[in-house]
Amino acid sequence: MKNISDLKIDEEAIVAKMIAKEPVKGRLLSMGIVKGAKIKVVAHTLARQTWDILSDNTKVALREEEARCILVEETK
Amino acid sequence: MHPCGGDKMSGCCGNKTNCEKSTIKAEKGEIKVAIVGQPNVGKSSIINALSNAKLHVGNFSGVTVEKKEVYVKKNGYDVLMTDLPGIYAFNAYTPEEQVAKDFLIKEDCDVIVNVVDANTLSRNLIFTLQLLDMHKKMILVINMVDEIEKRDGKINKKRIEKLLGVPVILTSAKQNRGVDEIIDCIIDTYNAHIVKNKIYYNEKIEQRIEDLAKILQKSQHFRDKDYSRFIAIRLLDRDENIYKIIHDLPIFIEAHKALEKMYAKLEAEFDEDSTTDILANERVAIARNLQMEAIDVKEEEESLSEKIDNFLIHPILGLPIFLFFMWALFQLTFVLGNYPMNVISSIFSETSAFLADLLPKGVFNSVLTDGILPAVGAIVMFLPNILVLFLGLNLLEQTGYMSRAAYLMDGFMKRFGLQGKAFVPLVSGFGCTVPAYMAARTLKNPKDRIITMLVLGFMSCGARLPIYVLLVSAFFTNENPGNILFFIYIGGAILGLIVAKILRTVLFRGEPEPFVMEIPPYRFPSFKALGMDLWIKTKMFLKKAGSFIAIAAMIIWFLSAYPANDDMVQKYNAKIEQTSSVQQKEQLKNDLNSKLLENSYLGSVGKFIEPVFAPLGMDWRLSVAVVAGLSAKEVVVSTLGTLYSMGGVNETNKGLIEKIRANVDFKAAIALIIIIMIYSPCLAAMGTFYAEVPQWAWRVFYTIYPNVVAWLMAFGAYKTLALMGY
Ligand SMILES: Nc1nc2c(ncn2[C@@H]2O[C@H](COP(=O)(O)OP(=O)(O)O)[C@@H](O)[C@H]2O)c(=O)[nH]1
Repeated sequence: MKNISDLKIDEEAIVAKMIAKEPVKGRLLSMGIVKGAKIKVVAHTLARQTWDILSDNTKVALREEEARCILVEETK
Repeated sequence: MHPCGGDKMSGCCGNKTNCEKSTIKAEKGEIKVAIVGQPNVGKSSIINALSNAKLHVGNFSGVTVEKKEVYVKKNGYDVLMTDLPGIYAFNAYTPEEQVAKDFLIKEDCDVIVNVVDANTLSRNLIFTLQLLDMHKKMILVINMVDEIEKRDGKINKKRIEKLLGVPVILTSAKQNRGVDEIIDCIIDTYNAHIVKNKIYYNEKIEQRIEDLAKILQKSQHFRDKDYSRFIAIRLLDRDENIYKIIHDLPIFIEAHKALEKMYAKLEAEFDEDSTTDILANERVAIARNLQMEAIDVKEEEESLSEKIDNFLIHPILGLPIFLFFMWALFQLTFVLGNYPMNVISSIFSETSAFLADLLPKGVFNSVLTDGILPAVGAIVMFLPNILVLFLGLNLLEQTGYMSRAAYLMDGFMKRFGLQGKAFVPLVSGFGCTVPAYMAARTLKNPKDRIITMLVLGFMSCGARLPIYVLLVSAFFTNENPGNILFFIYIGGAILGLIVAKILRTVLFRGEPEPFVMEIPPYRFPSFKALGMDLWIKTKMFLKKAGSFIAIAAMIIWFLSAYPANDDMVQKYNAKIEQTSSVQQKEQLKNDLNSKLLENSYLGSVGKFIEPVFAPLGMDWRLSVAVVAGLSAKEVVVSTLGTLYSMGGVNETNKGLIEKIRANVDFKAAIALIIIIMIYSPCLAAMGTFYAEVPQWAWRVFYTIYPNVVAWLMAFGAYKTLALMGY
């Protein structure tokens, strides 16, 4: 399954599963990144180390490690 | 009917009989209120917009998290509101969030005011639902309604009141709308009898909550039904803080057994890894539903914020733009801050000259006009720089750019074991270490914060500049002094990053901290908020630095003025009387001063510590200057001036430069520069560090290690240069 770090800038997807551990998982959740949420990649740095994700009107910065823990599927 | 729902906001409920029934607390008095919400929802803005409010800023007991208390008197009630640090959810993550959580759970407040951002309602509501579990009197303040209106959206206030069972107030702190209604609503809610809010979860979960609450009620701590329900929910949510509370109670074994069973059952029934996820999913579903029912607004197309971000956090352009902003801030701090500097400096010197004449001669006069005033002046002189720096940093923070900077720098900083956010305090360290330590508060993770604060001293502050200028002009006549200066500053910064890396690998081993950070939309800063913040920071800075510097200056002054040596003074005064040449008189005066200094306690200290500095080629005078520089870095140059018999010189004075060149060996000068770059910052900065870091182990380490590193590096450089034949 794809994860966020496989996406391109401006690409949208639906969160399918969160394999992040607590407390990161809880943190992502309270920022609106939950199963079923629509997300969009706003930007990533040149080395693709840090990611900027939009979900539910909220932008969240993540590291690649965290981005890999959010599995996504294509939007219908 | 809600206590303050309906259209009439200020009155109690519209229905008279209902109102009388609900008013049980007829007595007026103090109402304790907790203001709570996720970060960036506009809590501070709301507080600043409240009319007739008295603000008090302190710290939460035992921690250095800022505690803002607001006090409003209205209709005979004293409303005391505590602004809690922004908190995303009850599963606290950062130390600041933990403070907010502890306050909510342990302090007995009468009314909770939950502030949420209308733009991100569903995400905010997840936390609101957790708060509702507490079953306390609560008000929901939906802020930033202006932004919803701008998008032609509508918020159905009544619908939310009905669904959640709490009064709702729509506000725009920016346009100062609805803010004062909060106070009326607090009073009404306080007086209302019934608490209606109640969120029901899925049947299967509710059953477990009830069972668990029944077990809890056996303990006298949880007799209260609402409270036991709240604790039961928190336990099912696997809340470790709450688990610790029940751990020591007699019912623990029974509760623990029941819990384990419930976890397993629920996880199987819902096919989830953890009951935390089950409850989270429930809340997400409820919150989404609420948002759909209550807010009617079309989805944004590309917002202005996103357009700006296309440019400012561009994969290639983002970093250079950021570096330019930082450079500009740094320049402004120096350039703008320098204008009032001379004025302040002369105010202080005039005042102390005036007082020196006015007050009767004696110890008190000298200690005040020679010791305390000049030293306090030396610190206050930097207040303009500090304010410019603060203003710049506040602007970056308030507009929302700061989190972009953290995002951009994160990859680079990670290589040195730091977070992107740490870059900001590090850069402010070039201006002054004191506010930089305070800026490190924006780092949520305590390890990152400690590492950053430990290496902050390596960022040479503005007060060290005069020393570098003096030494560079004395010893680097052929090279471009500007380049050498630049090299010194950059060298310090690189060293700081390397030390950070070492600290991370040696003392703070383990997984790199995850980096998950909200990037708020760009917002036009509120000038009132900026002003308030600067004013508070100024007051706190003056208080702290003033008291600290005053005491330090007094100590240094006594050490350098005593023991009194009247014989010598008389002998020299006689000689001065005899000579007619002005030049010789000056010379004699300077000789006297340096003799006195050599025999003072400070001089004895110098002789005593000389062996430490001898391997670096430094004599007692340089040693004393270095040690005196611990009080404030400005003191190094003035001490050198006195010690080389030049009384009252500054760094541009040709005479001192020549004396230094004549008396100090090149190797020793390099060693001195290295010491100044690395060793402990001034007392004011150290005091700030102690105030920010409560652990004694870190305080001790912080006090010792930079000096050891400084000595070793200086020694290495000295020996290397000696080998190279200098
Ligand atoms: N448009 C708009 N902006 C607001 C409003 N309230 C606050 N802001 C802005 O939102 C940002 C965050 O506000 P602040 O009070 O610092 O949030 P806090 O972190 O909750 O204390 C600031 O830039 C404010 O100027 C509002 O009602 N409308």
